[in-house]
Amino acid sequence: MGNAIAKNAEFVQRQVLATARIQEKYCEGRELTVDAVAEPILWARSVTDAFELVQRLRADDVLKLDYLTDITAYDNVDGKDGPKRFVVIYQIFSTTTHVRLRIKLGVDLQEEPMSWTSLWDGANWLEREVFDMFGIKFKGHPNLRRILMDERFTGHPLRKEYPLKQREQFPDNVPLHLGAHPVPSNT
Amino acid sequence: MSKDGSAMIFPSLMSEAIKWARKNSLWPMPYGTSCCGIELMSTLSSTYDLSRFGAEVVRFSPRQADMLIVAGTITTKMAPVLRSIYDQILEPKWVIAMGACSSSGGIFDTYSVLQGIDEIIPVDVYVPGCPPIPEGLIHSILHLQKVIDKSLERRPAVRPSPEDALNAMTYSQCTHAALVKSAYIVTKDGVAQNVSEDDSKKP
Amino acid sequence: MGKDDINHLEISAEKKNLSDFYNPNVLINIGPAHPAMHGTLRVMCRLNGETIEDAACEIGYLHRAIEKLGEDKTYHQWIVYTDRLNYCSALNNNIAYCMTVENLMGISVTERCMWVRMMLMELSRIIDHIICVAINALDMGAMTVFWLMYHWREEAYTMIESLCGMRLTTTATRVGGMAYDLPDDFIPRMKKFVKEFPSCLTEVHGLLTGNRIWIDRTKGVGKLSREEALKFSITGPCLRASGVDLDLRRDRPYYAYNEVKFDVAIGTHGDVFDRYLVRMEEMRQSVRIIEQCIDRLPGGSIWVDDPRVRIPDKIDVYTKMEVLIHHFKIFMEGINVPPGEVYNAVEGPNGELGFYIVSRGGPKAWRMRVKSPSFMLFQSFEHSVVGDKIPDAIAALGSINIIAGELDR
Repeated sequence: MGNAIAKNAEFVQRQVLATARIQEKYCEGRELTVDAVAEPILWARSVTDAFELVQRLRADDVLKLDYLTDITAYDNVDGKDGPKRFVVIYQIFSTTTHVRLRIKLGVDLQEEPMSWTSLWDGANWLEREVFDMFGIKFKGHPNLRRILMDERFTGHPLRKEYPLKQREQFPDNVPLHLGAHPVPSNT
Repeated sequence: MSKDGSAMIFPSLMSEAIKWARKNSLWPMPYGTSCCGIELMSTLSSTYDLSRFGAEVVRFSPRQADMLIVAGTITTKMAPVLRSIYDQILEPKWVIAMGACSSSGGIFDTYSVLQGIDEIIPVDVYVPGCPPIPEGLIHSILHLQKVIDKSLERRPAVRPSPEDALNAMTYSQCTHAALVKSAYIVTKDGVAQNVSEDDSKKP
Repeated sequence: MGKDDINHLEISAEKKNLSDFYNPNVLINIGPAHPAMHGTLRVMCRLNGETIEDAACEIGYLHRAIEKLGEDKTYHQWIVYTDRLNYCSALNNNIAYCMTVENLMGISVTERCMWVRMMLMELSRIIDHIICVAINALDMGAMTVFWLMYHWREEAYTMIESLCGMRLTTTATRVGGMAYDLPDDFIPRMKKFVKEFPSCLTEVHGLLTGNRIWIDRTKGVGKLSREEALKFSITGPCLRASGVDLDLRRDRPYYAYNEVKFDVAIGTHGDVFDRYLVRMEEMRQSVRIIEQCIDRLPGGSIWVDDPRVRIPDKIDVYTKMEVLIHHFKIFMEGINVPPGEVYNAVEGPNGELGFYIVSRGGPKAWRMRVKSPSFMLFQSFEHSVVGDKIPDAIAALGSINIIAGELDR
């Protein structure tokens, strides 16, 4: 684990207790693993299960997981993390007990997980970014459009099949900006 | 001029006077997008004072500037913005490509970064560095002054023609998966043609 | 447009309909290229007179595919890209990233490396806050503060340059250690810096904190209440200015942060004035932490004794064969990271900077994710400016310290 976690840090004990509580209460049919630094990872069973799970976790008085840290995803094209194409990761955190939990959800190409914008406003742009980079749509998102790439872009860059150096050209850049005023020759 | 230098009149060629005025009053328009923008700010601040070279007035309006310092990475989303700013600067104008990203794409050879701003605008001076230290930027301004000194007319830059600039956006060079061809080619009069069925007109 | 067209416009029906001119809703675009020097952000505001009724932010103008490059480059090659995330405090990003890879591999760095890294993280916190306060003041017209504070940034740059050769984009850490150990003149220079820098803070306090103009322009502007701050998942000085007591250095301590004494500054109103005060106080506390790091800095090697990652000294590389091969393998093939995943976050100057690495074994990562604090902060910006005027929006934008490199990655 390394000394990146301070010696005798108090939160480690609380994290262990929280993991134990998650194990006893929230593990019905869901897999609970740990990552390289012993932080818990809870695999949700399906796209509807994840939303319900997080609502229960938020309401839990002992865990007090009330803060959303991150929503992201990765491409599981080699199948090592389950049968589905993508894995969506939700990181949640407790501002009072300072414990972290990662919820993972396998999502196939056409599946749409429930959006978490009704729970946390901060999920809005995070889900837009996942949509932009992977093409995963979120049901119930108020404004699901591209955020980092141009609106007219048609690929999903972080998918493994998207080549690193491939660009796309947009035909309506043409009359508006480039070529409309040709560069003047020598004055 | 009299022998003790006291006379205030000295004869010169008109072209020399114009060149002298232009090179010593270069008003930059700083176009700082990323890390080079921070070094540009350092150059403008008091330790490496850029105003010694006539760049006292940093004009954020392109209409009032005559030098565009592009400091930072220019992405394909930002490229039309940069082009329209460049078009709004009035002649005579010069462009300094500060840093590796604006000279050639730098360390970012990816799907969203322009590999050098000379894909879309003509550049006069390139400043290498990631980011270049302020002395490097000052050196480039002095070099630009020498360039201005060479001739009254702007030197013939290898300017990208409009189609070159547009077709630069279709550059596709990938090492992992199959090459995906662009569906559009732009012809001389700016019309975009869908050539997805027509393989003979590949860029 | 010929003469006929102009005549046609003049007599067209739309021109006669003057009620269009009385529509108070104006859409202003604070475009990607704007004088506020914050990089490539775009804010579209719908105004009613001068008051902003609605704001929409657009980002992506500096999206350089750093996360995709993480899948293409080895772990060491990617350290270079981490500098370009929050380029105002590059050392912090380097250290956070190397900490994450070390966690993934189960490596403990040496004591000396740990204390050096802590000292450098606090130094980069100071320089990032200098930029934030200076640019915020510059946007509101207080140019003197910019000149004053930039002098100290140059002092810090000189120190960093003596450490690793670069002022801004440092790449000074490696997995398992640092690229260069501290040079001999670093500690004396740092002692001088910590002795003299607080005078700058006093000077800026004297110029701004009691200044009527500054107070009028920053109090009540860009307010984010405690609940909104938590709902938008913001972190860092802005969260603390809104009244939430959360600091990863104290609550989830890493390295030896639980052994150094420092206070955490908490604000009350969540407006620009509070954020400014929180940042000034954090700079003072960082100076305190650096003093303690200097006192407790141990000797010893800066490299961990793990053959998987230990980059050998150059003198050995040039003279011994096995060491040459070891060096070759580390750099040409990359370090072999076991399969697994980890999320590690540090308290960066801007907030919680997290790296989430998924590894399937081998020298390259499978997924490299950067959780950037500026992303969430800019999202909250849309809501915090509603009801303010345009100049207030610029003041609020300066106070949240958006670094475009981190925002768009």
